[in-house]
Amino acid sequence: MEEKLHIDWLSVILYILIVLFGAVNIYSANSGVDEALRLDFSKEYGKQVLFIGISAIVVFLILLTDYKFFNFSANGFYILVIGMLLVLLATGSFNKGAQAWFKIGSFKLQPSEFAKYATALALAKFLGAFDVKFEGRRNILICFGIILFPMLLTLLQNDTGSALVFASFILVLYREGLSGWWLLLGVYLVLIFVLTILLPSIHIIGFLFLLLGLLIYFNRKRKQLIVMASAIFLISAFYILSLDFVFSRVLKPHQQQRILVTLNQDVDEYYIKKSSGFSIFKFEKKESKDKSESKRDYSYNVRQSKISIGAGRWLGNGFNNGTQTKAKLVPEQHTDFIFCTVGEEYGFLGSALFVMLYLLLIGRIYYLAERQKNVFSRVFGYSTASIIFFHFFVNIGMALGLLPVIGIPLPFMSYGGSSLISFSMLLFTFLKLDANRVNEISRIY
Amino acid sequence: MEKSNRLYVFIGVLIFIGIVFTIRLFFLQIVDTSNYYKAQAYGSNDITIYPARGTIVDRYGKLMVYNDAAYDLMVVPQKAKNFDKAFLCRELLLDTIEFNKRLKKAAKYNPREASVIYKNLPLHLYARLQEIIYQYPAFYIETKIDRRYNIKGAAHLLGYMGEVTEKQLEQDKYYKPGDIKGITGLERAYETYLRGKKGRKVVLVDKFSKQQGSFAGGKFDSLPIAGQNIISAIDLDLQVYGEQLLANKIGSIVAIEPATGEVLSIVNSPNYDPNLLVGQQRNKNFGRLLLDPMKPLFNRALKAPYPPGSTFKTVQALIGLQEGVLTPETRYPCHGGYHMGSITVGCHPHASPLDLKNSITKSCNAYYCFVYRSILDNPNYKSVQDAYVKWAEYLHSFAIGINTGIDLPEESGGIVKKPGYFEREFGKNWRSSNVISMSIGQGQIGLTPLQMANVAAIIANKGFFYTPHVVRSIGDQHFVPPEFRKKRYTMISASNFDTIIAGMAKVCLPGGTAGRTGIPGIEICGKTGTAQNPHGEDHSIFIAFAPRENPKIAICVIVENGGFGADYAAPIANLMIERYLAKDRTVPSQKPELLSRMLKANLTGKPVSTVDSAKLNKPK
Repeated sequence: MEEKLHIDWLSVILYILIVLFGAVNIYSANSGVDEALRLDFSKEYGKQVLFIGISAIVVFLILLTDYKFFNFSANGFYILVIGMLLVLLATGSFNKGAQAWFKIGSFKLQPSEFAKYATALALAKFLGAFDVKFEGRRNILICFGIILFPMLLTLLQNDTGSALVFASFILVLYREGLSGWWLLLGVYLVLIFVLTILLPSIHIIGFLFLLLGLLIYFNRKRKQLIVMASAIFLISAFYILSLDFVFSRVLKPHQQQRILVTLNQDVDEYYIKKSSGFSIFKFEKKESKDKSESKRDYSYNVRQSKISIGAGRWLGNGFNNGTQTKAKLVPEQHTDFIFCTVGEEYGFLGSALFVMLYLLLIGRIYYLAERQKNVFSRVFGYSTASIIFFHFFVNIGMALGLLPVIGIPLPFMSYGGSSLISFSMLLFTFLKLDANRVNEISRIY
Repeated sequence: MEKSNRLYVFIGVLIFIGIVFTIRLFFLQIVDTSNYYKAQAYGSNDITIYPARGTIVDRYGKLMVYNDAAYDLMVVPQKAKNFDKAFLCRELLLDTIEFNKRLKKAAKYNPREASVIYKNLPLHLYARLQEIIYQYPAFYIETKIDRRYNIKGAAHLLGYMGEVTEKQLEQDKYYKPGDIKGITGLERAYETYLRGKKGRKVVLVDKFSKQQGSFAGGKFDSLPIAGQNIISAIDLDLQVYGEQLLANKIGSIVAIEPATGEVLSIVNSPNYDPNLLVGQQRNKNFGRLLLDPMKPLFNRALKAPYPPGSTFKTVQALIGLQEGVLTPETRYPCHGGYHMGSITVGCHPHASPLDLKNSITKSCNAYYCFVYRSILDNPNYKSVQDAYVKWAEYLHSFAIGINTGIDLPEESGGIVKKPGYFEREFGKNWRSSNVISMSIGQGQIGLTPLQMANVAAIIANKGFFYTPHVVRSIGDQHFVPPEFRKKRYTMISASNFDTIIAGMAKVCLPGGTAGRTGIPGIEICGKTGTAQNPHGEDHSIFIAFAPRENPKIAICVIVENGGFGADYAAPIANLMIERYLAKDRTVPSQKPELLSRMLKANLTGKPVSTVDSAKLNKPK
């Protein structure tokens, strides 16, 4: 019986559009001014074309592979990637200073990009196994273990951005049964965190205390609630104070600055403000040892990014005509800040359309994931969508000055072989699984 | 919640994020326009492309002022690494120590921006560098345009260039700080024509101010438009000849073509080489010229009011005739001068009495005392004051006491006092006898050499003149400002000129005051003047036009402390006339001994002129 490839063409078309659009923007950001349009493989845009070619081959191979292979090889792949991360860490400790990549010829292979793929496979395999559900302490711990282990290894490589991406698996676990309260708690913690930076700690604690007082006053009879609320208050207060501690003592100056810059805070003012309120920790400004990590660099990056996007106005300057882009005023524009090119050269209409198409792709993957008949495919689908979504959210948010500068690429768009290939693998592995869903059904009947 | 329904939570979050990002984009790109303007400012560098300044040629098309390229070797210090320094130094004929010193200085100024490392490369070095410069990516040759003058004099006429002042920056938005504009002379007067239109190139620059290419596809760029070339009325050969003749004397020569008002030459002495005020040494030279006690920067021809002396008698006679107080037949006696009470105006011995014609030829002082008194004491006027006002009006119609309106900056209108001046000096009821010295062009009257030359032109034209102008036409379209073509009539009828001209025609003939200076074959109508000067020897003055019929040239020569008008001014004027009227300028002067006497004469005791007469003596 002839097997038809029931691949989801909408996703494929969106993928192709985004990848090609990415290459076009990398060309804009990367080629010289007034340079003739040609393919130069020594330049980044040329290499990106090469990576697209490699991705196409990888995609083709994935589509040829039997769907069972992914479930079968999930653990092996996971172990392989973990091994690579450990080797990197080991060599890093020898070479003084962590490295996040293997050098193969002139190309760099970044295992942390593939770690997401491997983790998604491993998590899907675990939850997809018979009689395993996201229930019970053991299973939950194993799930978190699968996620946290590569996350920790990536973090140890000083690749904070890539490590943070593993947090996106929380969304998968939410789908698989994690209580929504945990997500709300996460939002609450982030909110408190932001407030702690913006206001003296004593004010926030005072405000929370006031809220607690009002709650107790209006619910005098409900003892259980009072106990709960008081406990939350105490934990919050402790959290706030420990945030102060972590922020002032644990975070490195450049990390502090990235966060402060995002919140439009001046570093000097911050220390004055914080030391004016009551605090058990002394706030002393730490000077960055590395000059390149100075505050100016981060605020510069964000400011240039906003200017570049703002320069686009309604319709943008058009392909290869962005002045900020061509002048290379935004650092890392062809990688993490590729969205600036979209903003400047295609304007509000272009970039808003781009954001919508991108979200359509992510939404489509979530939709496809939900319609999977087996847990393995569903978990993998949710993982795929969530990883891409997390990257998208953080990357665009950073370019728009809404989130701290966290160096993670925009999937399918940013320059980089490891990134493009691993995301292509992620998407097409899922699309292969999804295509198989139809075949599976057709086989049954 | 059913777990499968959690999909909607995900979709909801996606929609929410989409809305947040879109609003943020809308704010950044549409609402907040500051980003847009910052983008314009950050990534661009506005480069002005200077147009070629217009050239100036003489009336026969000989180049007087042009542009020349000067070459500077530039270096971007940051890039100046790993190059064959020894070889480059050898090519530049510089020692390595000096080269390093300059490189260090440039690096100190700004390591990323280009600085001059070798200013004004000599041509042989420039030629050699052109061949090898490709080996040195950190170095390049920048071409500058400098003004060059084909003549070592005529500085006051051509003028010099200089940096715009802050005030000028405010007045004219064309200029930017550091721009060069004409400060004096033709360079200033025709600045708006000569300067052309600047071009603009907006280049994209990166954060290191490094040029990356054209900004926004070159939509703000414009090409410079070269300045308009100017054809001047100056006769370069005559100008140079005049400068030779006036070398080592103080004074000036102004020659005008009466039929058009075109200025044939304006000679000032002392003079200076206009090339001194160009390029590197400009400021040093300017300071030197400014402090020179001989005041070489002073434009005598246009700014110095001299008492016209006896040349003024022509004007007095014309006014007397027009007022009807004088006829060609009027005779006045002269017995060694004019005597009236305690006042005596002396005169040289000559036959007496004289008629009007001979009074010009012999330059009788007494005659003009009578004439001037008859003008001022004219019973047709209520008072001397009224008659004086009328007389001054006549002078104004000759462009005396007012600016002639020549197309050069910094002109002086000369001196014609208002009646109030005399009231203050001599009391309310001052009389004609109080101002008697003015009858022979002394005292409270002053004319610039230009005004005196213009008087000669007026007499040549019999009553009218054109505003003297140095420029014939502007640009390729040969534009002539309409005011150059406007006849300006004096208040004297044409018929009144005949007697005066007849008198002037005999001045350079035997028996005239300049009888030995005439040029055979040319009917020169002239008038000598010897202006008394409280500071020393009299000024030698001569005004003339020639030929008598259909005059081609009107001229005024003033030689300070030159003695009698016939001593220096008349010979120089006549030699100038001879030169100008000669069909072939290479034919030697008919008065070689006069010429050599003039060329050799040194009235300053030291060489004052920067004109190298030995070099310029060769006729072109």
